[in-house]
Amino acid sequence: MAKVVVLGAGISGHTAVSYLRKNLSKEHEVVIVSPNSNYQWVPSNIWIGIGRMKPKQCTFPLAPLYKKKNITYIQAKVTTFHPEGDAKIKKGYVTAEYVVGDRKGETVKIDYDYLINATGPKLNFEATEGLKPGTHNTTSVCTYGHAVHAWSDLKKLIDRMKNGEQVKIVIGTGHAKATCQGAAFEYIMNVEQELHRYNVRDKATITWISNEYEVGDFGMDGLTVKMGSQLMSSKDLIEMVFEDRGIHIIKRAGVYKVEEGKVYYENLDGEHKVEEFDFAMLIPAFSGHGFKAYDKTGNDITDKLFKGFMIVDADYTAKPYEEWTVQDWPETYQNPNYQNIFAPGIAFAPPHTISKPRTSKNGTPIFPAPPRTGMPSGITAKLVADNIVEMIKKENNHLHHLGSMGNMGAACIASTGFGILKGRGVTITTNPIVPDYKKYPETGRINSKTIGDLGLAGHWVKLALHYAFLYKAKMKPFWWLIPE
Amino acid sequence: MAKKITRFQKFVMHNPFIQFFKFIYLNIKILNVVAMGHGGTRNNKK
Ligand SMILES: Cc1cc2nc3c(=O)[nH]c(=O)nc-3n(C[C@H](O)[C@H](O)[C@H](O)COP(=O)(O)OP(=O)(O)OC[C@H]3O[C@@H](n4cnc5c(N)ncnc54)[C@H](O)[C@@H]3O)c2cc1C
Repeated sequence: MAKVVVLGAGISGHTAVSYLRKNLSKEHEVVIVSPNSNYQWVPSNIWIGIGRMKPKQCTFPLAPLYKKKNITYIQAKVTTFHPEGDAKIKKGYVTAEYVVGDRKGETVKIDYDYLINATGPKLNFEATEGLKPGTHNTTSVCTYGHAVHAWSDLKKLIDRMKNGEQVKIVIGTGHAKATCQGAAFEYIMNVEQELHRYNVRDKATITWISNEYEVGDFGMDGLTVKMGSQLMSSKDLIEMVFEDRGIHIIKRAGVYKVEEGKVYYENLDGEHKVEEFDFAMLIPAFSGHGFKAYDKTGNDITDKLFKGFMIVDADYTAKPYEEWTVQDWPETYQNPNYQNIFAPGIAFAPPHTISKPRTSKNGTPIFPAPPRTGMPSGITAKLVADNIVEMIKKENNHLHHLGSMGNMGAACIASTGFGILKGRGVTITTNPIVPDYKKYPETGRINSKTIGDLGLAGHWVKLALHYAFLYKAKMKPFWWLIPE
Repeated sequence: MAKKITRFQKFVMHNPFIQFFKFIYLNIKILNVVAMGHGGTRNNKK
């Protein structure tokens, strides 16, 4: 009998437990440890943030589902890792602190045969002075709670605009090395469209602020997409969309401070500037959770497991941008020091960024961190679960299931306005996610699989995915037929 | 200077009839990109 413990019930962790439970017989125990009581379909938060969806349409409670599916659910927050056990516990274990109920605040030791760390990112608002939502008028859409707050602020702003007030809206990245530009892009476009719906668009100046060297970089070093029969850079595509919607652009900007109604940033030219706002949504930096790890005698071995995020089978050798290759990217998400520990989704430490690193004239690094969106998060979680199932069933350590972001496709379906007939979307597919210039010298990617499209259909696709992925997450009949 | 979305492109983007076929095309395309497999890049048998 084996015990597999999964940390984090987000897109990655929930996908992993779903496949583990489906493919392992009942004698094997599947445990999930996570502080959240609800599953949330994060990509739809942008619609909560414009008041077009309610949190209950994007979430569901985890406890009843896990009970029904025979998955042990511990609603707790992991604090430390002990991969070698200790004098009393001979297996690896983690410590976790209960976050609800009678045992709230109590620490528990959870041992395992296999461990999947799918704790995603820490939303590091603290890395930017004054950015914390609700403190200086800035908002976030990173969780459904944040998105509810964003909508409440936006609604108040729309009321002010209805009274004739002229306002400034700033949306983008809130840190020099933030990622998730795609989510901010969706939000700015949806906000812009909503202002038309309330007949107040003429009352707002809308500005995109981002750490990207060029718009459309999206932390993937930009793309060349096939639009119909023509090749177009994502820079030209996104510039065209912003131009069409009257959105101003501030690029190459590392936001370092927020005060009431003011965003302070440094640009690559080393200039320090201020942008005023009445409403702002800024994506924070993502960081590791700061977990500690100890060996069996209690010595600190954090650097064997973590490098900010968790160390996996990537090539972390420091080298210049020109020498980066797709082979640097992990394939199995297994920790090299402890072969029963894995980290899919955002929880793994990337070898480096995908976008070219750049520093300002003052030496400040200003460039996007690499994104790991929902699709790769789900795909890497499934392949980790599949490998563990094989290790258990075949009693060997061969990892057959591989999935490097340099040999994996992804789709970025960005809603750019809500509505069954008035909706709009930008659909971008890319294969591979990390460009491979050796294999595809022209653009780094397969042209026929890296496409772009604008139009209402993109919004329908995003809406269809919302329902399909929630169906899948609820593990309803034949859920596994829906790909990650 | 950013390119402009032409009137014709806008017509195509907003026409539900045309977009219905686009919807089917995009779903197939996405499935083809995402669900048609992934793998390693190093070719080293573990
Ligand atoms: C607004 C927004 C829109 C997005 N839109 C898209 C999109 O359209 N398409 C797309 O593909 N991707 C999108 N993404 C990205 C996508 O949401 C992420 O890639 C995905 O959520 C990552 O999954 P994950 O499981 O690795 O991390 P998460 O989803 O962050 O899950 C981490 C889990 O770990 C838990 N956890 C945290 N700390 C601990 C701890 N100490 N102990 C135990 N558990 C812990 C958390 O509670 C959470 O349940 C969007 C992201 C945002 C913020």
